[in-house]
Amino acid sequence: MHYQTESWGSYMPTRSANMGDPLERIERLASENAVVIFSMSTCCMCHAIKRLFCGMGVNPTVHELDEDPRGKDMERALMRLLGNSSAVPVVFIGGKLVGAMDRVMASHINGSLVPLLKEAGALWL
Amino acid sequence: MASHRLGETGLSDSGPSNPHVPYAVFHGSNVPTSFINQEGSAFDFGELEEAIVLQGVKIRNDEAKAPLFTGRPAATLEMFPSWPMRFQTTPRGSSKSGGESTDSGSAVNTFSSKAEVQMESESPISKNASSSDHQAFDHQKHLQLQQQQIQQEMANDRSRTGPSQNQSAVKAPQEKRKGGGSTSEKQLDAKTLRRLAQNREAARKSRLRKKAYVQQLESSRMKLTQIEQDLQRARAQGLFLGGCGGAGGNLSSGAAIFDMEYARWLEDDHRLMAELRTGLHAHLSDGDLRLIVEGYISHYDEIFRLKGVAAKSDVFHVITGLWLTPAERCFLWIGGFRPSDLIKMLIGQLDPLTEQQLVGIYRLQQSTQQAEEALSQGQEQLQQSLIETIAAAGPVIDGMQQMAIALAKLSNLESFVRQADNLRQQTLHQLCHVLTIRQAARCFLVIGEYYGRLRALSSLWASRPRESLMSEDHHNSCQPTATDHLQIVHQSTVHNHFSTF
Repeated sequence: MHYQTESWGSYMPTRSANMGDPLERIERLASENAVVIFSMSTCCMCHAIKRLFCGMGVNPTVHELDEDPRGKDMERALMRLLGNSSAVPVVFIGGKLVGAMDRVMASHINGSLVPLLKEAGALWL
Repeated sequence: MASHRLGETGLSDSGPSNPHVPYAVFHGSNVPTSFINQEGSAFDFGELEEAIVLQGVKIRNDEAKAPLFTGRPAATLEMFPSWPMRFQTTPRGSSKSGGESTDSGSAVNTFSSKAEVQMESESPISKNASSSDHQAFDHQKHLQLQQQQIQQEMANDRSRTGPSQNQSAVKAPQEKRKGGGSTSEKQLDAKTLRRLAQNREAARKSRLRKKAYVQQLESSRMKLTQIEQDLQRARAQGLFLGGCGGAGGNLSSGAAIFDMEYARWLEDDHRLMAELRTGLHAHLSDGDLRLIVEGYISHYDEIFRLKGVAAKSDVFHVITGLWLTPAERCFLWIGGFRPSDLIKMLIGQLDPLTEQQLVGIYRLQQSTQQAEEALSQGQEQLQQSLIETIAAAGPVIDGMQQMAIALAKLSNLESFVRQADNLRQQTLHQLCHVLTIRQAARCFLVIGEYYGRLRALSSLWASRPRESLMSEDHHNSCQPTATDHLQIVHQSTVHNHFSTF
């Protein structure tokens, strides 16, 4: 899977390194761990997806966007990425985008989630 | 009514200038009150008669005839001892003309003018009375003035004062009559007393009747406005869906539409199951059977889509399973069946399964259980958060904010229903992947029959004999009944189902 990247050439080139492209940041954060979940602390569906992974014995890395100073930008970027009305929860496994809750559950039911997790090193059994 | 009473007594205190109808004379009885309050209702000569009896006067219903006066003592005078004795010169002519100046369309007026004539004719007699009759004379003049006032009032409100005028007109001559006798002695014999009491009773009853009628009118009016509001609301929501509208007045339009669609879906379900059954028995080719199976899968996809639409418009209706039978509702999980329960039910039914298939089925069971657990926990957190928000909605201004927050949180319910339906849909699809076409066909048949029996259980339960509940030996008596039911159901089912659940 791959996701579209936007060109920010017309945007402020004088931004500091920290104020980079939110999508880039998302990509960077997603590749730092085997299982990365972008979530919000108040979102109940995010809580459900966290429970799902924990129930499977996976230890996901969670980024709470409402606790991140650049969370708003990232939220908007995720919304554009998914084409959803809600940005979270979004799951990356092995740096690759899996999707929102419905995609994650569908892939779990059809048996494709576990091999993906094993491949990313998040599951060992 | 009490206010009228007060008006009457006030009359006696305030004197002849009081514009109220001078029924003070009838202070002790309720009759004049009912007259006043009839407000255009049919004039009751009977009540008038009773009023006149008080004066000891008999009046025939024939209005042309003059009233007969039986010279009763001033019992009425006695009732208003505090009437002022002011003597007011009122030209009799004016009072008479006053009587004639009013609309003479009613018999009342004719009567009163006749009474006035008599009054006039009597006046010389009273004038010749002794000095002790001055009081009576004064009263008479008082009454004349009041009568005039009444007549003037009649010009404005004929129906209201018509009877009153009549009475006052009648009163005056009666007063005159009494002028001839003693004015201070009460000579109420038993008959009159009884008559008086009866009159009071009759008047009171008619007052109560009227009160009850008015109350009835009021409540009907309120009901009517309520119904009109409901109608308007329902029309705005387009609730008039032909035959479906009778499903209970408190269904939202989205819910009503969904219930209708679900009923249609059930009919399709029966039809498709019949197709599956004949297909299996006819040993169709796999290709043909696949078509039927795929048709059944899209049949289920359809209901999930419909539920999604319904959840957008009325999530409570979907999530509380109001569209299901009670027995189905008993096993409800986030607005539908629990996928892992379905798998558990199917495991015994799908023999023979290959090793690989068994593994696939058990994996499916495990993943559905994990997904269910995750969604359940998420929903629990939503509920907890809602509880906190609603509990915090205390004072009004903050309260509104909290309620808005609660509303926003409630909208998450819809996403949980969507995810749960998504899980169900994925489970059914995966079943088809794991099983062969024949097995899948049989699987769907089993599922359809299972839910059919569950629905039948609801009706059986609802129609079970209730005497067993009332007998003393409850345990013994209800057991056979339950077993009977189970036997009926057992014949068409595999009893595994019930032991599992």
